[in-house]
Amino acid sequence: MGSSEERVVAVIMVGGPTKGTRFRPLSLNVPKPLFPLAGQPMVHHPISACRNIPNLVQIYLIGFYEEREFALYVSSISHELRVPVRYLREDKPHGSAGGLYSFRDHIMEESPSHIVLLNCDVCCSFPLEAMLGAHKSYGGIGTILVIKVSAESASQFGELVADLETKELLHYTEKPETFVSNLINCGVYIFTPEIFSAIEDVFKQRKERANLRRVSSFEALLSATKALPADFVRLDQDILSPLAGKKQLYTFETLDFWEQIKTPGMSLRCSGLYLSQYRHTSPQLLASGDGTKKATITGDVYIHPSAKVHPSAKIGPNVSISANARIGAGVRLISCIILDDVEIMENAVVIHSIVGWKSTIGKWSRVQGEGDYNAKLGITILGEAVDVEDEVVVINSVVLPNKTLTVSVQEEIIL
Amino acid sequence: MKALILVGGFGTRLRPLTLSVPKPLVDFGNKPMILHQIEALKEVGVTEVVLAINYQPEVMLNFLKDFENKLDIKITCSQETEPLGTAGPLALAREKLIDGSGDPFFVLNSDVISEYPFAQLIKFHKSHGGEATIMVTKVDEPSKYGVVVMEEGTGKVERFVEKPKIFVGNKINAGIYLLNPSILDRIQLKPTSIEKEVFPKIADERKLYAMVLPGFWMDIGQPRDYITGLRLYLDSLRKKASVKLASGPHILGNVLIHESAVIGEGCLIGPDVSIGPGCVVEAGVRLSRCTVMRGVRIKKHACISSSIIGWHSTVGQWARVENMTILGEDVHVCDEIYSNGGVVLPHKEIKSSILKPEIVM
Repeated sequence: MGSSEERVVAVIMVGGPTKGTRFRPLSLNVPKPLFPLAGQPMVHHPISACRNIPNLVQIYLIGFYEEREFALYVSSISHELRVPVRYLREDKPHGSAGGLYSFRDHIMEESPSHIVLLNCDVCCSFPLEAMLGAHKSYGGIGTILVIKVSAESASQFGELVADLETKELLHYTEKPETFVSNLINCGVYIFTPEIFSAIEDVFKQRKERANLRRVSSFEALLSATKALPADFVRLDQDILSPLAGKKQLYTFETLDFWEQIKTPGMSLRCSGLYLSQYRHTSPQLLASGDGTKKATITGDVYIHPSAKVHPSAKIGPNVSISANARIGAGVRLISCIILDDVEIMENAVVIHSIVGWKSTIGKWSRVQGEGDYNAKLGITILGEAVDVEDEVVVINSVVLPNKTLTVSVQEEIIL
Repeated sequence: MKALILVGGFGTRLRPLTLSVPKPLVDFGNKPMILHQIEALKEVGVTEVVLAINYQPEVMLNFLKDFENKLDIKITCSQETEPLGTAGPLALAREKLIDGSGDPFFVLNSDVISEYPFAQLIKFHKSHGGEATIMVTKVDEPSKYGVVVMEEGTGKVERFVEKPKIFVGNKINAGIYLLNPSILDRIQLKPTSIEKEVFPKIADERKLYAMVLPGFWMDIGQPRDYITGLRLYLDSLRKKASVKLASGPHILGNVLIHESAVIGEGCLIGPDVSIGPGCVVEAGVRLSRCTVMRGVRIKKHACISSSIIGWHSTVGQWARVENMTILGEDVHVCDEIYSNGGVVLPHKEIKSSILKPEIVM
């Protein structure tokens, strides 16, 4: 197939509202894929990375959020990228492969030669152009992005074993109890359209098995408690794992950063990773200032053009300030995400925290987290419209929307 | 006659229940909280109820259309764009409350449940000829609240004392008022407190009277008081020999069971339990001092006390749920789990026991 016939469709799985309660309380106000990291909605980062794919013809977002949640974003990003971006809604979760399969007609509409599949809640450098090149040279039906991690953390993910020279996927196992490999699945894939036949085969096999096999009463007991519906097909366990070692699947290793964005704590960490990436890819997005005409900026900081920051404030490192925020005199911000319309009054301090839309932080108050991105109360999160009164201290706490804090709190969830 | 119900804001103290519906629509005794008040107002001849809200008017309006038709009473919303306190909303709703008849209008705090003796209130108000009547209720610990000091025989209010350090009286503001339209001339459209700014002035002019509320009273704006309130409410139904209360060998004390709920064999239910529409309580279940909302399934042999089970949740077999456990909408407690005061947000599955009170997000 010559490169003139090459057409690439990108598919980004965005999930839906009943899954992922781990992203609360932020997900009470905004669908996780639209939560901003480094000043841009989470889903914008993989979409933006798709720009680098030559011959990209279409981007699909697949999820089970309501269409209206994505309508505005999708139309503005289509316009900006000049590539059609569409949101396709699943009526219910079908698993990652099931979701892909149920929209195969849309995906195959432009007769793509390659399909790039990304998970929205993955934070990485998305080296898609290089990965596509590698995929074409391997000649298989799929290439999986992988990364080396520490042996201890590997068991939280899908572990892969790859041939050191050919990079072929030899073995795949999801969240194993014993150590298999420290190479893990990044949740970024490139497929040829043959992947749909592989998924179809799994459906057929399941149907046949259900018809032929008479299930023993013990098996029936087991399956009754944790049965997945027949049309729930997981990409990794049900499709890729069986194809390992058959010269169909290959791996491409990234040496850059990689994280999963499952909790608000991790979104703060990943916002920092993307901010530091801007230094190489889009330095014009980062703020600068030395305290004379503009506030002192240290490290990687994003400030939305409509935000107002007093010149005596000191901002950074790892700070992202969204639209219409107002940062008062003498404020110190370190490692935090300040969302739209927030007002931070004079001399307040915010460290390792996320401050929700329209909240206000009073004078000399201190909003702080320990900075443990994985702990339940490791950063402080203020939901929408939370008012922290003057001189109040809030440490390692989570505050749900529309609350006013008149006294200091520590290690608390405030409903 | 008209009435204004102060609904106010986000109902954060009743979370996680209010994460699913606005507070006035949270069920109490198998009926939305606000319906108890609207029905009592209708009974005494109120033709229009204005709800002073600052949150989710759309969700409210849909329900209200439903009540309007069923009850044949007009219900409108007066939406605050900024919080106006406890008196400001009256100024905002001024046009709706004054109908030229000169009749007094009711003002109720939406969190309050009581017998709503509105007919007696109207009679007392007419008899003393003052500008405003507030209902007061006797409490054990008056210094937690604002105390109303009043003349024994006439009920004329002498003064208000906020959280008094020494004993000045044991009657507090019950959040139920009957006010002459002239009061609206005293209130500007800005954040104002009726207890701190408006009533004290009227009391000084000797035009404010107080009536002791007969029967029970409770502010059910938070879970602990909600459960106590249910006990008081069911008790009052018992006193009126209400047919709504359940009876039978499996019933202990005061229990309210919706006619569409299904109760299995060998259960022991009560005291102080309400079970909502469409609930399924399987065999061998023990329920005491709890509210089970619409569409809940309690599986076999489970035991629930002093808790609130939110709409469409399930409680697994042999599960034990107690000590102010509050389950939000669509929460599923697995079999054999123990919850000691767990407060669980909507759409969660509880797969491991909660040994001490904690919030599960």
